[in-house]
Amino acid sequence: MYYVKQSFCKMALKQIYNRFLSLPLRAKFIISFLLVICFGGILTLIFGTRLEHKTIFSLAQDKVNHDLASARMVYNEKLFDIRDIVRLNSVRESIQNSLKTKQRETLFKHLSLIRKEFALDFLTVTDAEGKVVLRTSNPEIWGDDQSSDPVLQRALSGKTVASTQITPREDLIKEGKGLAEKAYIEFIPTPKAVPLEKDHEENAMVLKAAAPVMSEENEILGVLYAGIILNRNYEIVDKVKEIVFKGEMYKGREIGTATIFQQDLRISTNVKNENGKRAIGTRVSREVNQAVLNKGKIWVDRAFVVNNWYISAYEPIKNINGDIIGILYVGMLEKPYIDLRNRVMGTFAGMAVLSVIILLIILTVITSTIINPLKKLVVATNEIAKGDLDHKVSTNLKDEIGQLATSFNQMTDNLNKANQKLIHWGKTLEKQVNERTKKIKEMQDSLIQSEKLASLGKMAAGIAHEINNPLTSILINSHLLLEKADNPYVKESLDLITEETSRCSSIVKGLLEFSRQSPPKKVPADINSLITNTSALLENQLKFQNINVIKKLDSNLPHIKIDTSKIKQVIWNLMINAAEAMPNGGKITLSTRFSKDKKSVVIEITDTGKGIPQENINKLFDPFFTTKESGSGLGLAVSYGIIQQHQGHIKANSKVSQGTTFTVVLPIT
Amino acid sequence: MDKKNILIVDDEINVCKSIGRAIQCEQYEVERALSGEEALDNLKEKTYHLVIADLMMPGIGGIDLLKSLRTSFPEINVIMITGYPTIKTAVQAIKIGAFDYIPKPFTPEQLRSVVARCFKSEDEKTEKEPPVTTMPKGIYYIIGHTWVIPEKNNKGLVGVVHDFLKTVGRITSLQLPNENDNVMQGEMCAKIKDDAGYNYGIWSPATGKVFEVNEKLKKDFSLLKKSPYKEGWLFRCELTQFEEDKESLLLSQ
Repeated sequence: MYYVKQSFCKMALKQIYNRFLSLPLRAKFIISFLLVICFGGILTLIFGTRLEHKTIFSLAQDKVNHDLASARMVYNEKLFDIRDIVRLNSVRESIQNSLKTKQRETLFKHLSLIRKEFALDFLTVTDAEGKVVLRTSNPEIWGDDQSSDPVLQRALSGKTVASTQITPREDLIKEGKGLAEKAYIEFIPTPKAVPLEKDHEENAMVLKAAAPVMSEENEILGVLYAGIILNRNYEIVDKVKEIVFKGEMYKGREIGTATIFQQDLRISTNVKNENGKRAIGTRVSREVNQAVLNKGKIWVDRAFVVNNWYISAYEPIKNINGDIIGILYVGMLEKPYIDLRNRVMGTFAGMAVLSVIILLIILTVITSTIINPLKKLVVATNEIAKGDLDHKVSTNLKDEIGQLATSFNQMTDNLNKANQKLIHWGKTLEKQVNERTKKIKEMQDSLIQSEKLASLGKMAAGIAHEINNPLTSILINSHLLLEKADNPYVKESLDLITEETSRCSSIVKGLLEFSRQSPPKKVPADINSLITNTSALLENQLKFQNINVIKKLDSNLPHIKIDTSKIKQVIWNLMINAAEAMPNGGKITLSTRFSKDKKSVVIEITDTGKGIPQENINKLFDPFFTTKESGSGLGLAVSYGIIQQHQGHIKANSKVSQGTTFTVVLPIT
Repeated sequence: MDKKNILIVDDEINVCKSIGRAIQCEQYEVERALSGEEALDNLKEKTYHLVIADLMMPGIGGIDLLKSLRTSFPEINVIMITGYPTIKTAVQAIKIGAFDYIPKPFTPEQLRSVVARCFKSEDEKTEKEPPVTTMPKGIYYIIGHTWVIPEKNNKGLVGVVHDFLKTVGRITSLQLPNENDNVMQGEMCAKIKDDAGYNYGIWSPATGKVFEVNEKLKKDFSLLKKSPYKEGWLFRCELTQFEEDKESLLLSQ
């Protein structure tokens, strides 16, 4: 299965590669460059944004941590304010005296002013046992024992203390009218919060301070305590917002928010819900609940608060015993950071896109300089393929493509020349074919002739040997008979027999000579003097036959390498032949000259005889071909063989009743 | 005088018979053998004075027969005949020790003259006559026939060797070539007739054209025997292919 998958992958890759190969050159260039750029770009983008994200958010978290500290200061300041109020009033003489004498009206007169002035929710005085003497916000109810309150207990022991505290509903009802209502908050269902059975909060989170009232004798007369209910009290959170975030807005939303939680419930906040109202009644998420309320940690992270993402910091609020009773929260709207990040990323991406575009433009221009000449070449090759060989590729590039174009032009030039030659050749072909055919015919003839000679030589040797034996018997016996013959009639017959036998013998001898053509022994010789000498031997005899010999010899001819005895034999044979063609006399012309190409010597022997009929011309050099009664038919065949051994050739031209010319051509070297 | 025993060896019975008829006379006892093997058998049983053998025979050929005769019976003369005559085989045969060499076909007279010459030389040997003369140095020759002395300008002087003349009787007639006649090596160039009535053909030692004939010799034939290497020359000729001719000639030392 793994292998199947692998091979499938391979096939797919191969297919993609093949498709890539079939793309135009420019596309290949661009795709390759784009792949490189995209790969690099994406890597940079990923790592860049990671880094940038980390930097921005760690900065934001540092800031929110710092902001949390500021918020705590604001919170504590408020708490210390209340403590200072109770302490300063506890040392007032009028308050001490009034408490000593339990003048409730006087106390009320002094303290209710103070309560109103400092906007305290309650300001209450107890005696030394902790029994309420006067509640400024609810004078009708007094005398109840408050000594179980942990803050009060500390004050009764002589200390001035301040702390956050959860005050139960029944205490609130006692402390003042409307306080319980102020504290009462119904839960708004929050999906991420820890589910609870109750659906509202009736207790209040209170900033509470208490100070002992002392007599002149330094005895505790009672305790003065005051408190502010934090539920629905927005003073602290708004102050935090104002001091820390300076009320900055971002797209209609406040950047900085602060919240005070009673347990996990928002009781005071400037986080707004969809309707623009403060989001009282919602609760903190389970995550924060666990970390801050249960474990008492400071929790810094991004968090979804009500309906926006915030970079948030949570910190536990503790009562005087150190128990966690609530949370102080500050949060910065994440949106500006997200937007900042997006802007940076956008700029980054924009720059990347811009660089890609610029690169593409540069690439297009560069590839154009490469591809356009190539396109020209393609056009040119197409033109040439169509047959336009005059087409030229114009280029002034000096690089490899320029060289290619130059050699291409050169190639078409050569092609053109070759084509011209071909056309010319085609025109002259017929002529050449005819010439060659003639030459081939001549060569064939000469080949046939030499083959004839060769096979005849072999045959002649065999025949001669076989025939000589019976000839011996015939010759001996006819001679023996002749020696005994007295009868003239018989003698005459025997004479004829012996004569003819002798002729047979001489024919066989001729054959044998012919078969024994030894290789020529060539020496440089003057052909003219050779002809003159040979002719001289015959001239006297020819005069009797009424034949004149005329010589037209070119005296400039060089010496040529020949076997003189064999060439003499040829000249001799040809002259005898010429003479025999003219039984009634005539003339023999012997001429020598250069061939047209000056590479050969031409010897011509012309007679004015009866001529040779055309049908016999081709058989002339065949062995045993003769038109004479007494000829052996070997003279011309032997001559042919000799001239061939000299790498020359011999031929005959004849017109009946005008004469015959034998032409012998011998090469000079 | 005893009868001479002659053995004719030829693979053709008719040739044997004809040769026998040509030389048959009272002095000769002629027998024939149809192969070299048969001839050797005959030679073991009987003494022969002359063997006439064909050069080309199946089995033991003429040359082989000649060689074995030279070693086993050096006293027997051998005349070689052949239907395929070449100057090379002729020279080879004579070098090995044949008395003479006759190309087929031949006339009875040609054969008889050679046979007669053969027996004359045998007689001379038996008589232990000292040789008439010896051959001078620097002469090219065909054993038992003719010589040639090359001269300037490719010319050559031709004559007959003394060994040949020993076998010939008193010369009664001499036929020489004419001026401008062509002569060829191994071909007959002159004829001698002796007082016994035999005609002897003389082979030319070289190829060429005759341009001078010994006129003195024509008048006095005795010069031939008296001075075979000087006044007894036959003719001068232009040598046309002497380099080639030399291959078939011996050079006297």
